[in-house]
Amino acid sequence: MKNIRMLMIMAMPLLACFLYACANTNSMYRAHPAEVTGIPDCSECHTDNWASLNHQAADFYEKHRYYAEQQKFACGVCHEESFCADCHAHKEEIKPSDKYKLSPERELPHRGDYLNQHRIDGRIDPVSCVKCHGRSNNERCKECHR
Amino acid sequence: MKSYRQWNTRCALPGILKTSGWIAAVISLMFVVPAKAEAASVSLQSDTIFRMGQSTSDKRNLYPAYEYLRLSVPEIDKDGTISFYFGGWGRYDLADKTTDRYTNGDLQYGYLSYRSKKNNLQINLGRQFVSEGVAAERFDGAYLRCDLAAGFGAALFGGATVATDPNFQGGDVVYGGRISHTMPKYYSIGISALKTDDDQSRFREEEGIDIWLHPFKQVEAVGRSSYNSITSGWMEHAYTISYIPLDNLRINFDLSQVNYRDYFFHMTTSALSVVPGGVLDPNEEVLTLGGSIAYTPIKNLTIVADYKNFDYHVAGNAHKYGGKATFSLPASFAAGIALHRMDGQVDRLRYYEYRAFASKKIAKLDLTADFFGVNYDSNINGLKNAFTVAGAASYEITERLKVAGDINYSRTPDFDNQLTGLVKITYAFDTARSAEGRAKGEKY
Repeated sequence: MKNIRMLMIMAMPLLACFLYACANTNSMYRAHPAEVTGIPDCSECHTDNWASLNHQAADFYEKHRYYAEQQKFACGVCHEESFCADCHAHKEEIKPSDKYKLSPERELPHRGDYLNQHRIDGRIDPVSCVKCHGRSNNERCKECHR
Repeated sequence: MKSYRQWNTRCALPGILKTSGWIAAVISLMFVVPAKAEAASVSLQSDTIFRMGQSTSDKRNLYPAYEYLRLSVPEIDKDGTISFYFGGWGRYDLADKTTDRYTNGDLQYGYLSYRSKKNNLQINLGRQFVSEGVAAERFDGAYLRCDLAAGFGAALFGGATVATDPNFQGGDVVYGGRISHTMPKYYSIGISALKTDDDQSRFREEEGIDIWLHPFKQVEAVGRSSYNSITSGWMEHAYTISYIPLDNLRINFDLSQVNYRDYFFHMTTSALSVVPGGVLDPNEEVLTLGGSIAYTPIKNLTIVADYKNFDYHVAGNAHKYGGKATFSLPASFAAGIALHRMDGQVDRLRYYEYRAFASKKIAKLDLTADFFGVNYDSNINGLKNAFTVAGAASYEITERLKVAGDINYSRTPDFDNQLTGLVKITYAFDTARSAEGRAKGEKY
């Protein structure tokens, strides 16, 4: 039994190398080959799965997490790493809606003074808080939630 | 008493990984310097921000100054396969030094990246944010992803957790991976797992399945189910289906089901923990059903009607519904209005929420006006109508230098009259690529 386990452990890297060698796909561009201005509608040019990444779609903000968890490197074709960090931060003191004040058309959370409203949103939909504040960017919570 | 083996594998590992991350960052900086000397594509951006406002706890006046630095070197070597990214900020309060918190700062990310021209092979070393199935984590460590044969793909990651811990610890080591299969025209499906350990116990163990289906041009479904192996329960099922019968009509359906005991497991803040006596009830379950219809009658104008129902096992029901209309001309004008009604079973969950905004670009000047209000059915701290009015402007002095400012007036249940403001000076040391975080092709 021990020998079989050892054999499997040794075979796994070989199998991985074999599968990697057989993939033979071309890597995605690092930067989008055509200039993109404004909030893009990817379906204007793309007809395959990338057409789904229509940033103008009303539900894109809600769905972007699904796209990112499957194809984050596709996001990197147009967005710098700091774009994710603006909202999904380890520690941050400036709200995304304040950072992008001159882009009011973006669907960004916590507009206005959010202190009162967070008590309401936190009750009705605490799940939406977790991605950014469950295990990071929550040090200010301790001022009240001791 | 801990054995030597436990100390060796569980306590020392995060330290080793953190050290490795920093070594990777230093080594990459050594690469960056010669690259810069050869006038490679190096982008460095500075955002200096001055804010004025009040502390929420004791209403002290605060005048913090921030410096954000973002560096990206996308092509360190000749082949353009190695790159480096760094982002961080520091803050110093110019007025209030009465507490030990008048300075703060953070390394947001700092990693060296190798990207092969074949098979989408990517190796990252350093502080980074990984998004792979159930994992949406920031950590100090290593990440590897690549395409495999026959449409398969794989990703692995591991390192020391990067979490804040105001009330509870966030674990020491995080690792996991995702295996996917993709047929680009039809679907992508993945299974993923994540494990976090601390020196005492199993901290987090999550597994999940994620899908992205687009069998026809008009239909798309995305979603995820995740399972908590420690509590032996499903954390979340979240799916959304889009139907696009016409180019200017889009219909969406959303469904999500969350079990609090499994989902809010080992959060680091008591505000989101299901600990005894905490804010959240561990027995709570919520089923959320919703949808929206978006119609574009003419180019650049979109009208949306949406509805969401929250069905709580313990707390009862609430409905949120409303609509919005937006009009935008790329890079020159945007305007919109929105009105929503929250209709819940308790007073605080009965209110109207409304918003109107407009922004206009005139040559090098950007102007924005934004109004956001909430009209509660019953008084909260003697107030029914809370609102914020904001005005913002920016001016592009040169191609590299931009100055922006905004001022906000709020009247809320917490602040009778609150005035806050911000001035931002952005300097891009290289205009070829922006590091602010907008699309790479956009100006800063």
